[in-house]
Amino acid sequence: MKILVVEDQPRLGEFLRQGLGERAYTVSLAQTCAQARDALCESSCDAIILDLGLPDGDGLDLLREWRRCGFNEPVLILSARDSVEDRISGLDLGADDYLPKPFSLEELLAHVRCLLRRHSVVKQALIEHRGIRLDLAGHTVRAHGQPVDLTSREFALLELFMQNIGRTLTRDFISDRIWPGLVDTNLLDVYMSRLRAKLEDSSGAPLFRTLRGIGYQMA
Amino acid sequence: MRSIRTRIAVWYALSATVTLAILFAAGYVLLENYIDHDLDLLNRVEFEQIRARLGRDYHALTPDIIDRRIRETTNYASVLFYININIPGHGMLFYSSNLAGRPIPDIPRKHIYNASVPGIGGLRVAEFIAPPFDITVGTPTRQMHQVLRAYVEVSLALLAAMLLISAGLGFGLGDVVLRPVRLIGQTASRIRSDNLDARIPVAGVDNELSDLAKLLNQMFDRIEGAFKQMRVFTAEVSHELKTPLSLVRLHAEKLLTDGNLQGRSEEAVLVQLEELGRVSRMIDELLFISRAEAHALSLRLLPRNPHEFLRSIEGDLRALCCHRGIRLDIAYAGAGSVAIDEQRLRQVLFNLVNNALDASPPRGGVRLCSSVEQTRWCCRVEDDGPGLEDDQYEKAFDRFVRFGRAPTDTGSGLGLAICRSIIELHGGVIRAMPRPDGRGACFCFELPLADAAMGAGVAPAVTALAH
Ligand SMILES: Nc1ncnc2c1ncn2[C@@H]1O[C@H](COP(=O)(O)OP(=O)(O)OP(=O)(O)O)[C@@H](O)[C@H]1O
Ligand SMILES: [Mg+2]
Repeated sequence: MKILVVEDQPRLGEFLRQGLGERAYTVSLAQTCAQARDALCESSCDAIILDLGLPDGDGLDLLREWRRCGFNEPVLILSARDSVEDRISGLDLGADDYLPKPFSLEELLAHVRCLLRRHSVVKQALIEHRGIRLDLAGHTVRAHGQPVDLTSREFALLELFMQNIGRTLTRDFISDRIWPGLVDTNLLDVYMSRLRAKLEDSSGAPLFRTLRGIGYQMA
Repeated sequence: MRSIRTRIAVWYALSATVTLAILFAAGYVLLENYIDHDLDLLNRVEFEQIRARLGRDYHALTPDIIDRRIRETTNYASVLFYININIPGHGMLFYSSNLAGRPIPDIPRKHIYNASVPGIGGLRVAEFIAPPFDITVGTPTRQMHQVLRAYVEVSLALLAAMLLISAGLGFGLGDVVLRPVRLIGQTASRIRSDNLDARIPVAGVDNELSDLAKLLNQMFDRIEGAFKQMRVFTAEVSHELKTPLSLVRLHAEKLLTDGNLQGRSEEAVLVQLEELGRVSRMIDELLFISRAEAHALSLRLLPRNPHEFLRSIEGDLRALCCHRGIRLDIAYAGAGSVAIDEQRLRQVLFNLVNNALDASPPRGGVRLCSSVEQTRWCCRVEDDGPGLEDDQYEKAFDRFVRFGRAPTDTGSGLGLAICRSIIELHGGVIRAMPRPDGRGACFCFELPLADAAMGAGVAPAVTALAH
C-alpha cells in the first residue's frame, strides 16, 4: 500500500513516514503543494494524508483540484482546524475522513485502515470474539451464551471494539465516533466501566485493556 | 407617532387639507367681494333711475312732488331697495315705504358700507350726492349671506373629504417612499456571519437612499473583512500551536508503546500526555469562544422538539450521574419547537451537569427541569452542592474563572464561558442563581421558540466555507 503524506512540518512528516513505514506502508513525503502535485504525477498512490496549512497554498485547494480532475483515491485531511465548518467544507470537497491535530499514531493508523477498507470490505453481520457474540443485524449481544442487555450507546461502543480487535483505539477516535462533537473527559470512562461490568466475568482475563493517556484496546 | 409611514400620512393629509382650506378662504373673500361689487352696481343703477325720475329741475321741486315722483319708481322696487333722501342740515326728505320711517344709518365720510337696520337686517348701502340731496340706497344682504353660508358648508364638507382621501393617499405614499428603506432593512437583517457576502442592491440613480445603501455596503465590507481576518487568525493560531503539539504527543506515545520505560519515567510521560490533551482542548475552547464572540461562527440550527433532544442525551447524562452515585431527576413540561444546533447544545448540557456533579455532595441529587413556555424554552440544572457566593454567580461565566478549587480539580474554567457563547449564538440567555430554597446552585438557560426566533432573524444557518 502506498501513501502520500503532504505535511509541511519536516519533523512531523518524517515521524509519519517512519511510523507508517513500520506498519508496512510505503510512504512518499511532500512538503508543499507543488511537491504534492509532482509526486502524484510521478506515481499513483492508494491514499493521501493531507495537511491543510501548507506554505504555498491551502490543502483544500489542492483537494479541490484533484477531485475536479477525477482523482478518486481516498484522502484523509489532517488539520489543526477543528471547527465543524472546516470539517464539513473538507468533506464537501471530497475528503473521505478528517483527523484533527494533535493526533496519535494509533489513531492515524485506524483512520488509514478505515480509508483503505472503505472501498473493499463488506460489513460483517455477526462478530464473535472470546465468547462474545455481536449480532449487528438483530442488534443483540450474547456473552457465553447468555443474552446481555446493552443500551444503544454501549452497543455502538462494543461494535467499534469488535471491529478493531487487538488494535489500540484512542480516546479521541472512540469519542469522535460515538459522541461526535462532544468534549467530555469522563463519559468514555463511564461507558467503558459499564461495558466491563456487563461483559467481563470475574475469572477470566480482562476483555478491555486500558492504555493510560492513550485509549483502550480489546484483547 | 411611531412609524414613519404614519407620520408621512399625517403630514401629507394635513398639508393637503390646509392648502385646500387656504384656497377656500381666498375663494370666500373673492366671492364676497364679487357679490358686494354686484350689489354696489345695483345700488348705482337704482340711483340713476331715481335721478332720471327726479328730472333736471329737481332743485326747484317741492318735497311733495319729489315724494310722488320717486315713490312711483320705488314702490315696485321696494322688495329690492331701501331708499332715503335727505338734505344735509335740513333733515330727512324721503323714506321708501319699506323703511317705515326708520332711517338707514349714516356713516360719515363713507359712501359705500354695510349697515344694519333693526327689523330689516343687513344692508349694502351706497350714498350718492345729488346736491342738495343725499340719496342713500340700500340692498339687503340676506341672500348674499345665504350664498356664502352654502359656500362655507360645501367647503367644509370638501375639506373633510380631502382629509380622509389624503390620509389614505398618504399611507400609500409612505409605502412607496419607504419601500427602498424596507428593502435595505431586509437585506441588512439577512447578512450574518454565514452569508457575509450578501449586499444591498444599489439603484442605478443617485439619491439619498442609494447613498445610504452604498454606505451600509461599505460597512458590511469592513465587517466581512474583520470576520475573515478572525477566521484566518484562529486557523493560523490553531495550526501553529497544534502541529508541534502533535509531534510532542506522537513522541510521547512512542516512548510508551516502545515499552522500555521504568515506573517513574512512564508516569512522567503519562502526565505529559494528559496535560497535552488538556492544552489541546483549551486551545480549541479558547478559539471557539473567540470566534463565537466575534460572531465568526455559524450554527447548524434545525427546529427540534427540546424534550426529544433531551431524551436523546438522557441516557448519557444518567450514566455520568450514576457513575458518581448521584441521582438525576428530569422533568419535562410543555411542548414546542426550538431551533438548535444539537451538538453544541449537548455540550452546554454536559458542561452544566458535569459542574453540578462536581459540586454535589455524596449521594446528592441533580435535577434537570425543562419547560416549554409561551415564547421560550427554559432549561434548569440544579444541584445539592454548596452553591456560590452572591457576587460569583455572574463571574462564573467569565473565562478561566474557578472558585474554591479542589486539589483534584482538572477543569480549566472555560466550561461556563463556552456555555454562554453557545447559548448567545442561539439568541438565548444563560444565568446562574441560588436555588429558590437556598440550597445549592441553579443554572438556567432560555431559548426563544422556533417561530419567535425566526421573527428575530435567527434562521437556519447555512454552513459556509470558513476561510
Ligand atoms: N453547580 C455549581 N455549583 C457550585 N459552583 C459551581 C457550579 N458550577 C460552576 N461552579 C463554579 O464556577 C466555576 C467555573 O465553572 P466552569 O465550568 O466554567 O469551569 P470548570 O468546571 O472549573 O472547568 P471546565 O468546565 O472548563 O472543565 C467552577 O470552577 C466552580 O467553582
Ligand atoms: Mg465545568
